Amino acid sequence: MAQEWSEEHDKVLKVGSPVSAIMQTESDGKAACAVSGRSLSEPARFAYAGVCALSLAQLFPEKEQRTFCTQYVEGLVQWLDLSTSVLPAMVAFSSGLGGEGTETFTKMLMEDSVLKSNPAVITQDLVSFCLREGYYDARSRVLISHVSWLLRIPPDVMEVCEESLLQSLKQYTDEPSESEQESRRKKASRKKLKRYLLIGLATVGGGTVIGLTGGLAAPFVAAGAATIIGSAGAAALGSTAGIAIMASLFGAAGAGLTGYKMKKRVGAIEEFEFLPLTGGRQLHITIAITGWLSTGKYGSFVAPWHSLLHSAEQYCLAWESKYLMELGNALDALLNGIMNIVAQEALKFTVLSGIVTALTWPASLLTVASVIDNPWGVCLSRSAEVGKHLAQILLTRQQGKRPVTLIGFSLGARVIYFCLQELAQEAGSEGIIEDVVLLGAPVEGDVKKWKLLTRVVAGRIINGYCRGDWLLSFVYRSSSVKLNVAGLQPITLDDRRMVNVDLSSVVNGHLDYMKQMDTILKAVGIKTTEEQVHPLYQPQPRTTDEPHDILPCDSDHDALDTSWNWDPVTSTEPQDPPTCQDCTPEPGTKDQGPQEASRPACNTCSSAKGAMIPCADCTNNNDTGQNSQRDTTRQRHKIKEQ
Amino acid sequence: MEEDILTTLKILIIGESGVGKSSLLLRFTDDTFDPELAATIGVDFKVKTIAVDGNRAKLAIWDTAGQERFRTLTPSYYRGAQGVILVYDVTRRDTFAKLDNWLNELETYCTRNDIVKMLVGNKIDKENREVDRNEGLKFARKHSMLFIEASAKTRDGVQCAFEELVEKIIQTPGLWESESDGKGVRLSSEDGARGGACGGYCSML
Repeated sequence: MAQEWSEEHDKVLKVGSPVSAIMQTESDGKAACAVSGRSLSEPARFAYAGVCALSLAQLFPEKEQRTFCTQYVEGLVQWLDLSTSVLPAMVAFSSGLGGEGTETFTKMLMEDSVLKSNPAVITQDLVSFCLREGYYDARSRVLISHVSWLLRIPPDVMEVCEESLLQSLKQYTDEPSESEQESRRKKASRKKLKRYLLIGLATVGGGTVIGLTGGLAAPFVAAGAATIIGSAGAAALGSTAGIAIMASLFGAAGAGLTGYKMKKRVGAIEEFEFLPLTGGRQLHITIAITGWLSTGKYGSFVAPWHSLLHSAEQYCLAWESKYLMELGNALDALLNGIMNIVAQEALKFTVLSGIVTALTWPASLLTVASVIDNPWGVCLSRSAEVGKHLAQILLTRQQGKRPVTLIGFSLGARVIYFCLQELAQEAGSEGIIEDVVLLGAPVEGDVKKWKLLTRVVAGRIINGYCRGDWLLSFVYRSSSVKLNVAGLQPITLDDRRMVNVDLSSVVNGHLDYMKQMDTILKAVGIKTTEEQVHPLYQPQPRTTDEPHDILPCDSDHDALDTSWNWDPVTSTEPQDPPTCQDCTPEPGTKDQGPQEASRPACNTCSSAKGAMIPCADCTNNNDTGQNSQRDTTRQRHKIKEQ
Repeated sequence: MEEDILTTLKILIIGESGVGKSSLLLRFTDDTFDPELAATIGVDFKVKTIAVDGNRAKLAIWDTAGQERFRTLTPSYYRGAQGVILVYDVTRRDTFAKLDNWLNELETYCTRNDIVKMLVGNKIDKENREVDRNEGLKFARKHSMLFIEASAKTRDGVQCAFEELVEKIIQTPGLWESESDGKGVRLSSEDGARGGACGGYCSML
């Protein structure tokens, strides 16, 4: 069905006339806020395509991604009305040659007369370009955020662009109801919105499309000014294409993931359903997967994720509640009933010190084993099955053709891991998954296995681990992979995607993954409800009566520069004690480079506020690829020295 | 086939707008000539393998745009280049006079000082010559460059220009071996799996 849509849409696109939507200056003389990419000067367009091509080479250097990169570059050259004679150079860029040029290109783009005042034009244009065929590839999204980052555009601008483009596309699908129209009319009478109408009508080419969007979509969007950005993008896509694009992006079935019901029992799976977490609609979705259920506060699948707000459209996977509940009860009984604190501490010490062998188990451990082993074992095998099933659903695009972020803890992380492993075995599974977050994952940490995942994950693979998770290390006691469990240690995979986050200071035991989810999400850099109000949307003191103008235009851009933070958000709650075993500087790691020292704070040991102790484990693989490379080199040196 | 390639060399072609940089390259790589060739946008890229003294070398040739509006893009291509071809038009004295500027730019942006430079006086097939051969030769000698006069249209000297340049690069010790031997710290464990050009340069600087 979706296939048909996109094919039909292809035809439409070819007929659709290119619209150069040039927003005219506003009455107060502010700079134009939206210009389509192809209206830039030729050198700027060349640099724009060049930056994208070079970024592709940097982000996706793997051989299997080559086709995507080449196609992307070819499409972009066409999109920007560049002569085909630049193709050889662009293809060379995208295959990793001429990487020295990135800086020159970005510098040139930022000095361009149009882009200087509003670099977000690039982000907006890229979003429109990536969506032109109704297929939002996760790799495209990663590229957009990388290019935006290179151009020092705040990360939220991308979301705003997506949102406004979506709003302007939306009108083709759902007809607003009477009451909605009424409320819109009321709002439209406000002074600010009149301006949008005027701007919209003044637009060249896009005509009615933009006129409508400029006025009607504004009430929807948090930052009203963003509408203007997106409307240009929508106009560039051509109005008739709207329906096809919407259908393709959100899944032709319409109902999307919540409409998915397991038609028959698949393998050993008894329950598999998507529950909506947040009811919005967005161009990327997040699926959260719970690791176990317990009675009381955390009795439902959605409970741990109450603060998650990584995207407006989020789902929670409900799976095998019967067995997860059993497991949860066993865990509760274990930690609150059978054993007292002293016994737990003793057990923790025993397990973590690594002296556990079958012969020397103390009696208390045997009790633990009898309680936990059976439900754990059942859930372990079921989570793998569920993961494989999830992969099949994602492959058939029940979620629509848009990027997916997967977040899960404990057995939920195991579901994700097996989902990714399954995807990695399938053809054409690239570009579905954007980011994955595995917290306390009971899976093996074999680098070779994890290497396979890089093909299907476009963005980051975040492994949140806790060295002191005795429960996890205990349940793996008899397994051969015991010494190499992802949830207990960093994965030493040398890839820009791999991000290891030491959660030892946040998580004291395996159960904390559920209880401390809020803090954990912040520590690994996943958006939560607390950050919903971004500085971008907040009126700044300088702009007196027109709060909407704080879109990165003119001087406002500088102000924004200081307000964003690329590092994962650090914890706000003071944790005690603020020390984690990984942060005490070891003798060998004292001579850290200046790079590390100047970093704001160690991301993972987020609670240790102000403590600038860089530790080899935490800095490993964090942030940019460069850092991770540097770190790996150092580690290698260390090994040599030894 | 890939195995007997000695090395990959990065060659850069620079010069004023309209002197025939792209035509020279087109003649060299495709053996064609287009009198109506459009101005280069940004930069062009071509690959050609040639044999010099029994050694096969793969040339990655970056043909820059001469137009002023693309001038800001050029500097980034100087980095890591082993050879540069500086072209002027023998029928336009102004293109010859600007050579000093180009050499200055080369000095400024080039990362190595032993880069091999070749001066090419193009369009010798034309009647209205303004720059004498001796003038070009003198200039080249003064700046220790190789020199040749050529015509992309008639094929004269084109092949020779590239061959001589490559020969000279291969004869210059330390100019090209570093690429394959990797004096710098290798950052990736998978040898050569990830283009690595960027990292390689960083480590050597």
